[in-house]
Amino acid sequence: MTSLPDLKAVNDRYRMFVSFTDAEECDGEFVFSAKDNLTTRDFPSTAGSRILEGYRPPFDATPVARMREAGGFLAGKTNMDEFGFGTFSANSAFGIPLNPYDRERSCGGSSGGAACAAAVLEDHVALGVSTGGSIVCPASFCGVYGIAPTYGRVSRYGLIDYANSLDKVGILSAKAGDLAKYLPAISGKDPKDPTSCAQPGEIGTPKKVGSVAVPSEAVQGLSKGVMESFERALESLRSMGIDVETVDMPVLRYAMPAYYVLATSEASTNLARFCGMRYGQQDGDLTLGFDDYFTSFRSKYFGDEAKRRILLGTFTRMVGYADRYYSKALRVRASVISEYKKVYSRFDAVATPTMPFVSPRFDEIAGMSALDVYKADFLTIPPNLTGMPHLSVPCGYSDGMPVGLMLTADHWREDLLLGTALEWEKGFDMRKPEVMA
Amino acid sequence: MDREIVERAARIAHLDLTADELDRYEKDLTEILDHFQMLDEIPGEDTEGFTPVPVEDVLRDDVPSSEIPPEELLRDMRTYDGYVRGPKLS
Repeated sequence: MTSLPDLKAVNDRYRMFVSFTDAEECDGEFVFSAKDNLTTRDFPSTAGSRILEGYRPPFDATPVARMREAGGFLAGKTNMDEFGFGTFSANSAFGIPLNPYDRERSCGGSSGGAACAAAVLEDHVALGVSTGGSIVCPASFCGVYGIAPTYGRVSRYGLIDYANSLDKVGILSAKAGDLAKYLPAISGKDPKDPTSCAQPGEIGTPKKVGSVAVPSEAVQGLSKGVMESFERALESLRSMGIDVETVDMPVLRYAMPAYYVLATSEASTNLARFCGMRYGQQDGDLTLGFDDYFTSFRSKYFGDEAKRRILLGTFTRMVGYADRYYSKALRVRASVISEYKKVYSRFDAVATPTMPFVSPRFDEIAGMSALDVYKADFLTIPPNLTGMPHLSVPCGYSDGMPVGLMLTADHWREDLLLGTALEWEKGFDMRKPEVMA
Repeated sequence: MDREIVERAARIAHLDLTADELDRYEKDLTEILDHFQMLDEIPGEDTEGFTPVPVEDVLRDDVPSSEIPPEELLRDMRTYDGYVRGPKLS
């Protein structure tokens, strides 16, 4: 048994947890946390939503169960944007996690609490979930490693869905070695999630990529600091013996609208289950009629961004619009997958910055429109839309804030990402945040 | 996206929006959908796969099973005589 840090004091400062253990010692071989949209027996699971407040699932999500089987001690549930709807973890009903490098700035989203915990707590492994970039974005903003595996590599049983065809459970940690150790531990077929049963085999032995392609479209619209860090990162890759070449992938610009159409379409149906009868809040007036009860309940407890995405997704599936939006987005996703596959015939991976800017201040976020926020995801969306494994490694600092390098590999090739991260870690001078200053 | 369509989508989604919310979402969704018009520029592939990688059906034997006792599932629900309580059907 090893002592746990004073989680209350740490959480008072950084607000990364929605709930956490009051134990003083770790009853396990290592400590981990789970994003709050993964169900857990011993903690409430709210997915950052007021509508699920008080929900205590009677079962563990498969990735949580597998971490426990690997010897993990679950220390708490990490804060997140409501149902994963956000880029900055500013859309939670339970407060906003604060960036450990500058508490006036965002941790990124939607697994912001997970990235914060990985950055602040020693030897901590965080389970995160990505739909459109929700692991690598916060990993980049908080200066840690984060991997989102191939769609279907990790069971989604017990995950409170955002979008069925896009959700992936992955790992964040300050150490690349933790990704290589624990991603295989949570991976593998699970009869409770049929999408996990098509994977061709286990994750291979990590090995470094030999070549990467840099899409010319991905280096437009970057902040100066991110561009400088990215160029230095490419030099580091070359010094590791990796060939780096620029390519054109013009179809990438269509990934963002296709993603948001599919993600919100799926979200609008997934969230239909939250009607005040089975999970979380159930204080509605049962003398109301069926429709009025559901409507009053959902209107009261869904947050602003959840309502916006439900409306968008309902619209894109409506008669008269579904062909133009939903069906078209499915066909565009296939085009983006084809474009990546062509690149993988010549290169092992695609390299881009993870985010186009370092973590913004909260006052800057408040001034962004919904579309501005969606556009900020233009680098992380393509690998998520296509279900391809992708990883963010810390690659530099701009004005003291971390910058991330993102690598994307072909379906089921997590071995290339993990091997490269392990090599990268040996040569990267990582700075630690002043966690308890 | 005009206000009438926002109201229609809200009705379908069981959301009762205030006048301020309707104003805000009408503006936001119009801006978002204007941007999404770029999807018209690209034909896309002929296939409409619902998942990014192939998946296969996994079926269990057709026999009743539950790892979680029903009483545990009912623990957090409003119940009456073992049944889940809901609103009126009328």
